[in-house]
Amino acid sequence: MSGVRLEKLSKTFGATRAVREVDLVIPDGEFTVFVGPSGCGKTTTLNLIAGLETPTSGDIYIGADRVTDWEPRDRNLGMVFQSLALFPHMSVFDNIGFPLRLRRLPAAEIAARVAAVARTVRIDHLLDKRPATLSGGEAQRVALARTIIVQPAVFLMDEPLSSLDAKLRVEMRTELKRLHASLRATFVYVTHDQAEAMTMADRIVVMHGGVVQQVGPPLVLYNDPVNRFVAGFFGVPAMNFLEGELADGRFMAAPISVPVGLRRAVGSATLGVRPEHVRVTSGDEGWPATVNLVEPLGDETLVFLDHGGPASLIAKMHADEPIAAGDRRRFTFNPDKLLCFDGGTGERIRP
Amino acid sequence: MKTRGAFALSRHAVLTCWTLVTLFPIYWMLMTSFKHSGEWVTWPPRWLPHAPTLENYRAVLAPGTSTFELGRQTLKVLKPLWDSLLVAGVSSLVAVALGSALAYSWARFGTGGPRYPYNLLTIRMVPPIVIAVPFVVYYVTLRLLDTYAGLILVYVATSLPYVIWMMLAFIDDVPIELERAARVMGASRFRVVGTIVLPLVASGLVVTFLFVFILNWSELLLAMTLTNTEVSTIPITLNKFQSANEGRAYGPQAAIGTIATLPVVVLGFAIQKHLVRGFSFGLLRK
Repeated sequence: MSGVRLEKLSKTFGATRAVREVDLVIPDGEFTVFVGPSGCGKTTTLNLIAGLETPTSGDIYIGADRVTDWEPRDRNLGMVFQSLALFPHMSVFDNIGFPLRLRRLPAAEIAARVAAVARTVRIDHLLDKRPATLSGGEAQRVALARTIIVQPAVFLMDEPLSSLDAKLRVEMRTELKRLHASLRATFVYVTHDQAEAMTMADRIVVMHGGVVQQVGPPLVLYNDPVNRFVAGFFGVPAMNFLEGELADGRFMAAPISVPVGLRRAVGSATLGVRPEHVRVTSGDEGWPATVNLVEPLGDETLVFLDHGGPASLIAKMHADEPIAAGDRRRFTFNPDKLLCFDGGTGERIRP
Repeated sequence: MKTRGAFALSRHAVLTCWTLVTLFPIYWMLMTSFKHSGEWVTWPPRWLPHAPTLENYRAVLAPGTSTFELGRQTLKVLKPLWDSLLVAGVSSLVAVALGSALAYSWARFGTGGPRYPYNLLTIRMVPPIVIAVPFVVYYVTLRLLDTYAGLILVYVATSLPYVIWMMLAFIDDVPIELERAARVMGASRFRVVGTIVLPLVASGLVVTFLFVFILNWSELLLAMTLTNTEVSTIPITLNKFQSANEGRAYGPQAAIGTIATLPVVVLGFAIQKHLVRGFSFGLLRK
């Protein structure tokens, strides 16, 4: 009913092209996360959907309506801002009731609805307070309550969790997912945090330089990225990249030489290997390397291998395998999980 | 600890001395306004009036009843007091209203281009006398010479750059996300200004009003050039209390000065809460 559709959407600020020809369909009821480094155009895209910015060209549809030149207030949206944007001169009650007051509802109805929505986000004891006296998590819930109260068809969220500490952020992630499940509304969520995107999204839209790089479910982006940028954006620690040559179906960067199942010989190429697919062996299989750093995480251990290349290779190992900095070890790659990218464009090379 | 104590002590000493220096003229004006004419310029000076009198106040507030005569002039203070209140009050209100609107539209929409506020400031770089004379020429043609409207108009124009610059600082303090949130929630642009921006810059409006009110209240040059007998402000009247025979009438002048200071002091006390908040820019948590 109320999906969002973007058609050739562009926004230029002076000489900067913040958003370039974005075509995207966000289905009704889906939790879509826009992710990318700062300055990639994700927040501008969100502001365009909200109507807070006017597109330079292209169109925006919400449901069946072409809303490109509608005022924000006519678009039936709810928006949570990075700063939360609680009104400092109003009590929590007035903040939550603000959208209803704008709709000139009777005071009794406003009071009833504020009380009800405050209960659902568990802030009914805070209604008389001022925003400045709230904790980060409480302020977050007030911002949510203020958005939910008018039951918008589309929720827009601009890094709403970035002001919270790490523990609370993880809690609020779960809470937002639960909220999405109970409201069944369309959520459009912007973040620069790949972990947030992976854990919350039905679908992720990766943006870079104003251009949509790839759209898909989290695991598809993780396992089957279309280019080097997407491959390197997801996963902690990031994917290892090795520069080398492709010839006769093998990737070669001396001393490493692995079959990658590609018939085409394209010359310079980049090999991508996730740390969990680098195996540190105990025999004499694979290529030699020196362990120069070990980072135990508890359940896993990160091992930094110096194999003679320009950057260390990172391997993820089981925590109970004995290894120490300075060890001379050998390593191989899981051959089914190797990705090849064009050395020039960074595009994925597929068989 | 000892050096810190000594530092605090010397700092307080300096501040106390400076306070005395700045307060002394006000003290002297107040004392002179209660002195008989013989004590105005005696040497050594009398720090307190020998026999306090209200003669000076009678001279300026009710000229007929006073024993003090200044040549053949009869000078009234109540009319100039009223004129000053009217002209300074109205012009400051209008300037604050117009200037705030302009500051908002520049801060949010870039009205007039990026250099606009700086261009406005150049108006204030010209000495007032430079604009005063051409204004006389215009005002004669427009029949605005010696009228309330004429003086209010020129005060509005000269106050605007101050208002715009002061209000810019306060408006910049309002996070734009607050306005955006209100717009998405259903508020029109005007509603956003009325319910979000104005309450948050209220202290700024009050402080700015007081600032330009004091400027306009004490302005002499333009008032002297552009008015004559119909309109007369306090600073002009203050200047008239002298004659060839009696010289400067310090006592009545001090009385007028004291009377002229009162409205500003009263206004200051009335808005004290706003002054404290207004002068601490950056009051909003971002």
